[in-house]
Amino acid sequence: MIPLSWYLALSAVLFTIGVAGVVIKRNAIAMFMCIELMLNAVNLTLVAFSTYFHDVTGQLFVFIVMTVAAAEAAVGLGIIITVFRNRESLDVDDASVLRN
Amino acid sequence: MTTLLFIVLAALAVGSAVSLVVQRNPLYCAISLIFVFMSLAGLYLTLAAPFIAAIQIIVYAGAIMVLVVFVIMLLNVEEEERKPLRLRALVPLAIVGAGLLFAEAAFILYWVNESGADRARSVGAADTGLTKTIGAGLFTTYLLPFEITSLLILMAIVGAMTLARRASAIRPTDLVVPGSSVLARQTLTPEPDSDATPVYSRTTDEAEHALGLAGVPHRREED
Repeated sequence: MIPLSWYLALSAVLFTIGVAGVVIKRNAIAMFMCIELMLNAVNLTLVAFSTYFHDVTGQLFVFIVMTVAAAEAAVGLGIIITVFRNRESLDVDDASVLRN
Repeated sequence: MTTLLFIVLAALAVGSAVSLVVQRNPLYCAISLIFVFMSLAGLYLTLAAPFIAAIQIIVYAGAIMVLVVFVIMLLNVEEEERKPLRLRALVPLAIVGAGLLFAEAAFILYWVNESGADRARSVGAADTGLTKTIGAGLFTTYLLPFEITSLLILMAIVGAMTLARRASAIRPTDLVVPGSSVLARQTLTPEPDSDATPVYSRTTDEAEHALGLAGVPHRREED
């Protein structure tokens, strides 16, 4: 049987890659996809704990996290489309009006 | 056998995630992310969670990524161009911080390995991941969060529609009467040589006075 810590290590690696992507990327859609990657890393942790401790709550929470991710995708892509319509660019450095 | 499967899927997931960060074409990023989702679904299967694996593929790889790819195609995104790195002085600091974090994480994982978290797994009772168990939990104990989730999706739909709507559908010369914008659209267009100041009014009668239409007989909505 695979140790629990392997899943936790994999999840940590994926989450870190997601954080690095959000920091490195300048494209709004790519940053959005890195956020999805972070959500998935957390889901892996939840499912691993749920299986190893025989508690179904973790998987229910994964269900709710996926719903939140879907809602986030709808609203986030709407924001991205609006920004692109106003600025003709997806570079987040171009959308810095709120910074004085 | 399961260990081999885990190693293959984990390597695929990490490789695709690195590719997601490294690629500069957003479409290739999206394809890498789909590979990450697929390998994660396989990992859920090794964790005996078939329901989560199924909705991982259906919701993530199916719905969300189709939406993302659709937006990428719609916006016709060009490749990211390389820009000079700002804050170059902080790069050594970042490397030191990453090393510290890595050491910390390795220590924690080692400790988890030593403290008997793995021994919590008992034999039998392997029905945790079945759809029946999840459904029973979702519709009894966690019914209220489930209903709140539906409310969240409703708000997301309304928000997405509000955001993606054309913002400038009402021209500055249009007369906006709350509740009956159709009247405003029809009455204000005729004079092209009128000044472009917008007219604001609170009621239909005020709008008619402002436009000189007070005496004109017409059908009211109340009739």
